[in-house]
Amino acid sequence: MPGDWAIIAEGLVKRYLTYARRGFIRRERRIIEALRGVSFKVNWGEVFGLLGPNGAGKTTTVKILTTLLLPDDGNAWVAGYNVVDEPVRVREQIGVVLNVEKGFFWKLTGRENLRYFGMLRGLRGRDLEDRVDEVGGMLGLDKLGAMDKLYEEFSLGMKARLAIARAMLTDPPVLILDEPTLGLDPHSARGIRSLLVRLARRGKAVLITTHNMFEAELICDRVAIINRGRIAAIGTVAELKRLVTDTVPINIVFTGLAEDGLESLEKLVAERLGTPARISGEDRGYRIRMLAKPGEEDRIIAESISMLSSMGLKVHRVYVEEPSLEDVFIKVTGGET
Amino acid sequence: MAGAIDVMRAQLHATIYWYKNNRWLFFTMFLWPYLMVGMLLVVGVMFGSMKEYASRMGVSSPGFFLLSASTVAMSSLGIVDAVAGFALYNRWLGTLNYIVLSPMRTTLIFLAAGIPDSLITMLITVTSVSPAVLYIGGLGGGLRLLLILLVMLVGMLPLLGLSVLAASLLLLVKEESNIINSIVPFMLLVSGVFYPVEILPGLLQAVSRAVPVTYVVRAARIASVFGGLRGAPLIAVFYSLLLLALAYNGAASLAIRGAEERVRMRGVD
Ligand SMILES: Nc1ncnc2c1ncn2[C@@H]1O[C@H](COP(=O)(O)OP(=O)(O)O)[C@@H](O)[C@H]1O
Ligand SMILES: [Mg+2]
Repeated sequence: MPGDWAIIAEGLVKRYLTYARRGFIRRERRIIEALRGVSFKVNWGEVFGLLGPNGAGKTTTVKILTTLLLPDDGNAWVAGYNVVDEPVRVREQIGVVLNVEKGFFWKLTGRENLRYFGMLRGLRGRDLEDRVDEVGGMLGLDKLGAMDKLYEEFSLGMKARLAIARAMLTDPPVLILDEPTLGLDPHSARGIRSLLVRLARRGKAVLITTHNMFEAELICDRVAIINRGRIAAIGTVAELKRLVTDTVPINIVFTGLAEDGLESLEKLVAERLGTPARISGEDRGYRIRMLAKPGEEDRIIAESISMLSSMGLKVHRVYVEEPSLEDVFIKVTGGET
Repeated sequence: MAGAIDVMRAQLHATIYWYKNNRWLFFTMFLWPYLMVGMLLVVGVMFGSMKEYASRMGVSSPGFFLLSASTVAMSSLGIVDAVAGFALYNRWLGTLNYIVLSPMRTTLIFLAAGIPDSLITMLITVTSVSPAVLYIGGLGGGLRLLLILLVMLVGMLPLLGLSVLAASLLLLVKEESNIINSIVPFMLLVSGVFYPVEILPGLLQAVSRAVPVTYVVRAARIASVFGGLRGAPLIAVFYSLLLLALAYNGAASLAIRGAEERVRMRGVD
């Protein structure tokens, strides 16, 4: 039964037709396959994360689920209603956040903006005022003084809070949020994350998209990894991590490397030690991260330390860590993004 | 499920508070009709004196005609802008997606959303010119202005249809080619606000018959002949406007329904 699940996406396909200008008159028709068969289900009472890099198809999926876009193929249900045939019913069941940077009237205050969208959803009178106050309080907009401030004077954090407040106006059972913490200050991001978890514990279904692995690991009960319009893996964070029990991430912090030596060192390590390696900046030095197979750790650590030392680099610290969602991501997408 | 009334209430609320937060813009709204009078005057007397202009237009009170014609022009501008500009403005703000997410047919939203702003512009314009009208025409002038307001309200119906038609086109073409910026000046040029329709070339005269503003201007001309008010031509104006309303709104509801489908295929922004 579609209604047993908060959200069902079944083989969603979406192609965009674009025209690229070639010269003065000629236009080249190009078809972009944004979704190539996306399926997943979201339970009531869970925070579900759609995790993927830019251009993976997250926003397109969100737009289809929220009835803003029709799929070319496949189908989807939200709270038991079909997004293609029953758009009005679906709209009654969802609160939506699309792009936290805009979507309000610049010359109206937070409160006036919330009233406008509340009225569009059929709220009026005392009900409307109460709901506006309630969601304003829930998102901390009142304490920030944002309710009676013009939207044009809002910080990004306030904008995001207002967008989520709008989504909560009718207290909908399903929340669908497209990168709600993108670019936010840590304080706002943390507040929003804990609110989403609380809402899910109260029985709501929360779908968020993110390209932030840390965020997905932090708040999502289940995660679907989407890449190039396909779901590459799906499950709880623990289940996904089990996909990479055959790798042990090893980190070595070192100094003494010149900027231009980065890539060649990455290649050299990968060749000589037979493990994928990635170097990133660490405060006042670098960190090389290698993926070893279980039982191989000692050999890799010994060989890499002697290799780095022979190159005149100074090793400061060596540590082994738990695999992260990033490792899962690299594994299920074959490293390509 | 929400309905057309909710859309209009929301829109009215947004406009009132927008003006509240931008008071000086609100006050300039009362100046525009007089700037329009100035423009009509400049074009009107380009080909001769004020007297010649009055006789060309067939009106006995050119002052009253200028004021009422300016009211008509400003109101038409307001209606087209409110209805056709709705999609464009909200797409630009990023609010359009959230408006479309209201639990009702998108078509209904587009039909209802422009009405409050249209009425407000009309009200502001009439309020702005009425002191001058009362000064020139006395109480009789005031009553004639009310008559023109009534004609404008009827004239709003076909204009709404025409604007929704334009809005559907705007939703279909992705480019921000702002056709509404050229619709209104064109309508005014062929409507007889600046000079009698009769001096236009035959083709443009035919076009002008399909433009709702023409009939409202005609009513303004009729009302500007002080002395006895002729009833029959006014009735003809009403009938023409209702006929146009029927035609444009029929076409508009077909077009917007088509646009709604296409827009869902491609996304609204
Ligand atoms: N309106 C559009 N027209 C053409 N291509 C688009 C449009 N929207 C998205 N795309 C393309 O579709 C792909 C998926 O985009 P999107 O769903 O926005 O991904 P994400 O939200 O994960 O970054 C990208 O390649 C993007 O360039
Ligand atoms: Mg996106």
